[in-house]
Amino acid sequence: MKFARVGAAIAAAAIIVAACGGGSSGGDKTLKLGVTLPLSGGAAADGQPTLKGAQLAVDEINKKGGIGGYKLELFPLDHAVNGKYNEQQGAQDMQTFVNDPAVIGVVGPYNSAVAKVQIPIGNDAGLLQCSPANTNQSLTKPEFGGLDFRKNHPDRIAYIRVAATDDIQGPAMAVYAAKTLGLKNLLIIDDVTTFGKGVADTFQAKWEELGGTTAARVGAGADTTDFNAIITDAMTKKPDGVYYGGVVTSGAGLLLKQMRQQGLNVPFLGPDGIVNGNGQADGSLIKIAGAEAANNSYGTVAAIGDFPAKATFDAAFKEAFKADKEFNTPGAYSGPAYACATVILDSLQEFLKATPNADQAAIREGVRAWASDPAHSFETVLGTTAFDKNGDTTQPFISFYQVDPAAAGGGDWVFKEQQNFGAQ
Amino acid sequence: MTTTTIPASSGFGESVRRLRIGPYLFVVALGLIVFVAIGPQQFVNALTIGAIYALIAIGYTMVYGIIELINFAHGDVFMVGAFASMFVLTSVLGQEPNSSADSAPQAVFLIVTTFLIVMPVMGLLGVAIERFAYRPLRNAPRLAPLITAIGISFILQNIIQIIFGPSPVNTPQVIPPTAKIQIGDVSIGVVNIFVISVSVGLMIVLQLFVSRTRLGRAMRSTAQDREAAQLMGVDINRTIALTFFIGSALAGAAGIVQGFYFGAITFNLGFQAGLKAFTAAVLGGIGNIAGAALGGFIIGFVEVTAAAYGLFVWGQALVFAVLIIVLVFRPSGLLGQQLGERA
Repeated sequence: MKFARVGAAIAAAAIIVAACGGGSSGGDKTLKLGVTLPLSGGAAADGQPTLKGAQLAVDEINKKGGIGGYKLELFPLDHAVNGKYNEQQGAQDMQTFVNDPAVIGVVGPYNSAVAKVQIPIGNDAGLLQCSPANTNQSLTKPEFGGLDFRKNHPDRIAYIRVAATDDIQGPAMAVYAAKTLGLKNLLIIDDVTTFGKGVADTFQAKWEELGGTTAARVGAGADTTDFNAIITDAMTKKPDGVYYGGVVTSGAGLLLKQMRQQGLNVPFLGPDGIVNGNGQADGSLIKIAGAEAANNSYGTVAAIGDFPAKATFDAAFKEAFKADKEFNTPGAYSGPAYACATVILDSLQEFLKATPNADQAAIREGVRAWASDPAHSFETVLGTTAFDKNGDTTQPFISFYQVDPAAAGGGDWVFKEQQNFGAQ
Repeated sequence: MTTTTIPASSGFGESVRRLRIGPYLFVVALGLIVFVAIGPQQFVNALTIGAIYALIAIGYTMVYGIIELINFAHGDVFMVGAFASMFVLTSVLGQEPNSSADSAPQAVFLIVTTFLIVMPVMGLLGVAIERFAYRPLRNAPRLAPLITAIGISFILQNIIQIIFGPSPVNTPQVIPPTAKIQIGDVSIGVVNIFVISVSVGLMIVLQLFVSRTRLGRAMRSTAQDREAAQLMGVDINRTIALTFFIGSALAGAAGIVQGFYFGAITFNLGFQAGLKAFTAAVLGGIGNIAGAALGGFIIGFVEVTAAAYGLFVWGQALVFAVLIIVLVFRPSGLLGQQLGERA
C-alpha cells in the first residue's frame, strides 16, 4: 500500500511537471511543424529523405526570420517499430501532435495504412495534415469510402496530399507496361495491406482492360520471406513481367532476389513502395536484392519527378545535408515533403497577416481552413499546387523510374518520364 | 558401455518392431500425394524449407523432452546462428555479401569452416542460456522459466538488432544460387540439394548419437525419469547442458543454411521460423526427435502446396488447420510424446 501511494505521488508529480513543461513552451514565440514518418530501420530509406525535405523548408523560413514574429520548430516523431511502419504508433504520435497546442500542422505520413488511423484523429481535432506520399484512393475520395475517415466532420478537410492516388498510379504503370515495355503476361503479387492490395487491384483492372493477361494473382503477407514456391508456380505460366503491389519492408527486395535466383529474369514493376533509395541505403530494394538482380526494374512515383525547380532544390538539399553519410541525396518524396511544409507555412503566413494576435488554437484552425480551401493555391517547389474539395492535389503527376545498376551509390533509380493526370 | 543396466541400443531389428508404422506411412503417403499434386520442382522447394523447419524443431523437441520447457528463445538462437554465419563469412573469411565462391574447393572450404565455427558457438550459446536463465529456475513453478525463455528471445533479438540494424542484411551465398542440376525438364538448385542433405545428414547423426552412444543413453534416461537417472549415476546437469548444446548447434546449422538459401536475413527471422518449428514439434509429438523432423517436412509440404495452388495467403491458416486436425485425432502428435524410448 505504502509503495503504491509513493508511486502514485511520483506519477502525479511527473504529470504536473510535464504539464508545466508543455505550458511554458506556449509562452515563447515558437510554433511547431509536426512530422510523422517511419524514420528508423528498414523504413529509414523511405522516411529520412522525406523528413529532410520538410526540414529544409523550416530551416529556410527560420533563416528568413520566421513567420509573423514566430520561429518555426520541426517536431519529428518516428512511428517505425522494428524497422517497419506501425499504425498504433502512428496513431499515438498523431495524438501527441494534437495535444501539443504549439503544433500548427503535420507533414506525413508515408504509408496509407498509417494515414487510415491518423486522419480521423486529425479530423476530430481540426489539425491539418499534409501527406507527401500517401496514394491510397480510399483515404479521401468519397466514391472509394473517403468519408469513413472523416465521419465526425465530413466537411472539415484536415488531411490534404500532394501525391497522386493509386487509382491513377496503378493504371499508369499498367499502360507503361503494355505500351512502353510491350509486356503481355504478368505475375501480380501484393502484400495484402491497404496500400499494396489497393494499388495492385487498380493496376490489374487496367492491365486486363488493355488486353494483358494475368499469369497469376497472389497475396503474400507483409511478413513473407520465402517466395520460392510462388515463383516456381508462376514460372510454369511463363510470365514476361512481375508487378509487386507493396513496399520493400513487405518483401519486394527478397522477392526480386529470389526471382533472379530461380532464373526469372523478366522486368520487375512496382509502385512507389519499391522506389526507395540507392544501393547503399539500408533497407533499399537495390541493396537487398543486389544491384545486378535489381536491373530491369521499373517503378512509379506518385509525384512529379522532374519539377521546375528540381535542380535548385536538389542542390540546396545536398548542400544542407552533406554531412549526413547515408541520406544526403533527395529521395522521390523529398520535394513533395518540402512542398507540404511550404503549403502549411504559407497558410500560416496568410492567416497571421489577417489575424496577427490569434492564439494557438485559432492559428491551428486558421492554417487548416486556409490550406484546405479549394480556392487557394500555393507556389511550391513542385509548381502551383492546389487541393480539391476532398484534399487531393489538383495536379496529380505520375513519374516513371528505372533501376540503373551502374549508377553512383551502388545502383540507383533513374527518372525516365512523367505524366500529368490532372487534365483528365 | 557394458557396465550399465539400461540396454545400450535397441538394435535395428528391435527398432523396427518398436516403430509404429502408421504415422510413417501417413507421411510417406502425404509426400507422394504432394509430389503428384505439385510436381518435382515444388516438391524440392517444400523439402528445402521443411528441412530448415525440421532442424529447428528438433531443438524444441529435445529440450521439451528432457526438462518439459518450451524454449521460446530457440527460434532466436536459429536467427543468431544465421547472423553468426554471415559474420564468419564476411568478417573472418573475407567474402562479399551477395557473392558466391569462385570454385568448388573454395566453396567446400568456406562451408566446412563456417559449420565448424558456428555450430559449436551456437551450442555454447544454448548452454549459456540454459545455465543462467533456466537452471536456476529448474525447480521453480513452470511459468517462471517460460517467461525467462520469452525474455531471452527478446534479448537476443535486441542485441542483433542493435549490432546489425533492423533492415535485412545480405549474406554471402557460398553456393551460387543460380547453379542448377538438370534432370529431364526439371532443374533443381544445387543449394536446395545442399540444404536438404545437410539437414537429413545431421538428423541421422543425431539419431545415431541418441540411440547408440553412452551420452545419448544418458539423455534418454534423464528424459524418462530424471530422479531415477540421477540415482543411476547420470550427471543431470551435464546431460541437460548437452541437450541444449546439441539443439542449439542444430539451430545454428539451420541458420547457416537459411543464409545460404535466401541470401538475406533479418533480426526478427527467428520469431516466424520458431513458431513454425514449434508447431512442427507439436505436430510430430513434442519430445520426439523423429516426430519433429516429420512435422517440419509436413509444414513445408502444406505451405508449398498452398502456394502451388495460388493459396499462398492461406498458407499459415492451412498449417494450423492441419495441426488442429492432427491433434484432434492424435492428441500427443503423430509419433507420440516421449524422447525416452522412442527417440
